[in-house]
Amino acid sequence: MIRCDEVTKIFRKNGSEITSLDRFTADIGAGEFVAVRGPSGSGKTTLLLTLGGMQRPSAGLVQFSGRDLYRLSPADRAGLRSAEIGFVFQMFHLVPYLDLMGNVLLASPGKLGPAVRQRAGELLDKLGLAERVSHRPGELSAGERQRLAVARALLNRPKLILADEPTGNLDPENAAEVIRHLAEFHQAGGTVVLVTHGTAADTYADRFLRLKQGRLVAD
Amino acid sequence: MSLWSHIFGEIGFRKLNALFSLLGLTLAVTIVVASRLLAEADERETRRVTRDMGFNLRLISAETDLGQFYRDGFSRNAMNAAMLDRLATHLTNNVSFNHLVGSLRREYTINGQDILLVGLSETYVAPGQGKKPMGVVIKKGTVHIGSEVARKQKKKRDDTMHVGERQFTVANDPIETGTPDDITIFARLEDVQSVLRLEGKINEIEAIDCLCLTADQDPLAILRKEIGDILPEVQVVQMRTLADARAKQRQTREKVNQFVLPSVLVASAVWMALLAVLNVRDRRQEIGILRALGKGGGRIAGLFLGKAALLGLMASVFGAAFGTWAVLEFGPSLFPVTKKAIQANPTLAWQMVVATPVFAAFASFIPAMLAVSHDPAETLRED
Repeated sequence: MIRCDEVTKIFRKNGSEITSLDRFTADIGAGEFVAVRGPSGSGKTTLLLTLGGMQRPSAGLVQFSGRDLYRLSPADRAGLRSAEIGFVFQMFHLVPYLDLMGNVLLASPGKLGPAVRQRAGELLDKLGLAERVSHRPGELSAGERQRLAVARALLNRPKLILADEPTGNLDPENAAEVIRHLAEFHQAGGTVVLVTHGTAADTYADRFLRLKQGRLVAD
Repeated sequence: MSLWSHIFGEIGFRKLNALFSLLGLTLAVTIVVASRLLAEADERETRRVTRDMGFNLRLISAETDLGQFYRDGFSRNAMNAAMLDRLATHLTNNVSFNHLVGSLRREYTINGQDILLVGLSETYVAPGQGKKPMGVVIKKGTVHIGSEVARKQKKKRDDTMHVGERQFTVANDPIETGTPDDITIFARLEDVQSVLRLEGKINEIEAIDCLCLTADQDPLAILRKEIGDILPEVQVVQMRTLADARAKQRQTREKVNQFVLPSVLVASAVWMALLAVLNVRDRRQEIGILRALGKGGGRIAGLFLGKAALLGLMASVFGAAFGTWAVLEFGPSLFPVTKKAIQANPTLAWQMVVATPVFAAFASFIPAMLAVSHDPAETLRED
């Protein structure tokens, strides 16, 4: 599904260069649950954003389902992201002024027909948020917010979910629940790339990548 | 999630930003509407004042000796009344004169009283201007008499009086003016021509110059050239004091408007843009996640431009209403002489409703482009 070949990302700031990804090469197959680990600053988030078409690499090739991601036009890349990739972030990144239903529906690329609304309702129900549909994110606990972010990521039935430390701000119980939902997506045939510090995903991940100073040091 | 429900939600959430934007725009629309309404009132007032000042151009026969003209107050050389028609056919918005009135003026004696007898034609104005005639309109068979005439002839409104062999009805309440008008009888031109047996004759064409140039700008040369090309047989006398007063009044108003409106528009645009930049900064994470969800630049720009346009629409309604109310409420104290000059202007209100959303969106354009060009990865990695 994803092929990375010698992917390098260099940030330049104030005349100095920081290599965040250093010739990263790996293939991630469809249906895999990949946990990416590494210390802070090892390039995990950069890798995730690069895989999601959000961060153009300084060098190297990123292919998604056979397509060179960064040769697509911005509009095509946005369309691909909308249709095939779901994001879950540590800080949830919910829209504070939309209610739960609005936040989930935000992921919908087209017109909001009854089927989309029904799907959003089902996801909220499945993630235990059905009672709070008209609430705003500010009224939810951290665990509930992250479950809402998972619901949003799942709305378009993506092929891939990229999760950047989704359990980083959660207590163990909520962390386990969020990972369980990602695992369910994986068991249904989806691909998960999960950046994590913790061990919550150990039970479900079937592959572990370790980064150090931007390099893949273990697979 | 439609764009508009998204925009409404954000406005409700960040009330202060929206409120300050709305206030800034409303204030701008209020000032624009109020200054336009006051300018229109001022225009009407200026027109009235200058009308009261009287004509400032006098066109007399080229043969007239100016010594006689200034000594007697009128030219003794008659001209053909057809000259008035000829000049009137050249009245357009492109010439520097307007409000043409032909007059026939002579000394006359009634019951031993020496008076001035003045016949006035209808007023000719440039087509499409809808301007009111200068002074009063004299109806056929009536005269307007000065106070001294009324006193000596013992006449008042609705009395009949004979001028020569003709009988007329007094149509005015004679008031002392302290001018030669007190010893004047005004009648229609054809009536006076008939009394004086000078059919088809006038001895003056009065007019107002439209140049609005002060004396140092030499408007007279321009007027003489324009009128001389049409009527070479007349000479043009300009009453400079009146012309200057008129020009200065108009120039002052135009200068104020030229300064106030651009200043308000620039200040409002800067204010709107500043608030939009703050809004973009507050919403960096939102922009990042929208990008991650595959939303394009058009949608993101639409959130900011749509918000600006919506606030502009609301501001236009509030501002137009408030500006109109303020002028109607307080304007009469600024223009006490002609309170009627102050009027609401629905066309202006509609123009504001159309223009303000466009203006607000335009002012927010650069911030919206900042939002579109913002690198989402930068904020999404700020966990």
